[in-house]
Amino acid sequence: MSQRVALVSGAASGIGRAIAAELNDRGWAVLGVDLGPAPECALSVEVDVTDTAGVARAVRQAEQQLGPVEAAVSAAGHYAIVPISEIDPSAWLRMLRVHLGGLAAITRAVLPGMVRRGSGSIVAITSELAIGGGDSDSHYASAKGAVIGFVRSLAAEVAPQGVRVNAVAPGPTDTPLLAADSPWRAPEYLSTLPIGRLVRPDEVALCAATLIEELPFCVGEIISPNAGAVI
Amino acid sequence: MGRLSGHVAFVSGAAQGMGAAHARRLAAEGALVAVNDRVASPALDDLAHEIAGLAVPADMADREAVFAGLQQASEHLGEVDIVVANHAYMSMSDFLDHDEDDWWRVIDTNLGGTFWLIQAALPSMRRRGAGRVVIISSEWGQVGWPRATAYSASKAGLISLTKTLGRELAREHIIVNAIAPGVTDTPQLQVDADAAGVTLAAMHEEYAATIPLGRIGVPEDIAAAVAFLADFRMEALVGQVVSVNGGSTRTRA
Repeated sequence: MSQRVALVSGAASGIGRAIAAELNDRGWAVLGVDLGPAPECALSVEVDVTDTAGVARAVRQAEQQLGPVEAAVSAAGHYAIVPISEIDPSAWLRMLRVHLGGLAAITRAVLPGMVRRGSGSIVAITSELAIGGGDSDSHYASAKGAVIGFVRSLAAEVAPQGVRVNAVAPGPTDTPLLAADSPWRAPEYLSTLPIGRLVRPDEVALCAATLIEELPFCVGEIISPNAGAVI
Repeated sequence: MGRLSGHVAFVSGAAQGMGAAHARRLAAEGALVAVNDRVASPALDDLAHEIAGLAVPADMADREAVFAGLQQASEHLGEVDIVVANHAYMSMSDFLDHDEDDWWRVIDTNLGGTFWLIQAALPSMRRRGAGRVVIISSEWGQVGWPRATAYSASKAGLISLTKTLGRELAREHIIVNAIAPGVTDTPQLQVDADAAGVTLAAMHEEYAATIPLGRIGVPEDIAAAVAFLADFRMEALVGQVVSVNGGSTRTRA
């Protein structure tokens, strides 16, 4: 029996890599999409998720080499803590293009096949900051909040055709996106979290894989493994 | 070896419907399961036998009975470290006509009973150094519903209980979350259909029309979320409400 195929963006590191590894462990053939090579993947394509045509090409390549893409996880991310008055237009656009644009590009590439087959699962990685907000997180929170609006609307639109769209909203996660001197790693901050530590990437991966494989009645849902940062 | 091997679960309201599905799913994942319902019944005994668990009848609104039930479960199966608070009493009425005793029975059973159940289970979870609590709330606890003031209030109260205990107990590795099921195909639906004077099929269709996925839930849909929230590999998900409703609310909490 041939393997089921899943696309994971941001698969080269952090949360995306953990999701690729989890899906790989569960028997999926993973198309990894990232700026650099993605090691846990059956097929790694180096492309910027803001490049709609490039993402579409990657999906076509995967469909030829691996088979139809039955699940997609948008995990490619970009994070910066910047006070509002210092966010220039290029920083603003970059943030929106990576998070919302990346999800939209992936959706454009995989949705037609999913609708045709009458089944499929899309999971967007958003953020606890989209729900609770954060000091100097306005452009990041805007982008991740837009992702939630997109997910809820797309979920309502394509559920009747058998495609489920959901999101995972992690809290601060122990990945390379958080620099060693990040305030999210400071002991004073961690002590405010109910679990007292950062989220592990494998915990986010478990949520994403569970949404894809085990929760057929979840639609437009946001699962929040956030260490208790936003309850 | 399932992911819950070595764990002991207590599922309230498990004689039929969702609770029975939770018990079967947890047992399939490797847990030993005590199945509770308000009164003893052949259905409860049969389920306990089927999953090699233990039938523990007890009224969750009766604090002493709840504590005795948890003790019985721990003595026979081992220290309970998973609690699924699934039991519920449902009564619908126009607000002003709702009999006051009946109104409080809903609250005392659903909200109060869950409170006692968690209280009773905490000592064994603390002795084991970790625990998982899954509280079954309801879509109606999130969005409200006409003629369901008591039920909706009890289920909304469970959401606040989840959030508070999520914060309070996480450092002890006791992780509390809730599930808010949407309309689910359980025996309660027949009761609702009879009360509304429509056929069960008509009720299914009426509800399904409001759900993007185009169907109502089945108990196994909810049980899958219970197994997920009982997973000891994850602690980062805490104090949260997972809505399992086919897209009817899309995360309005």
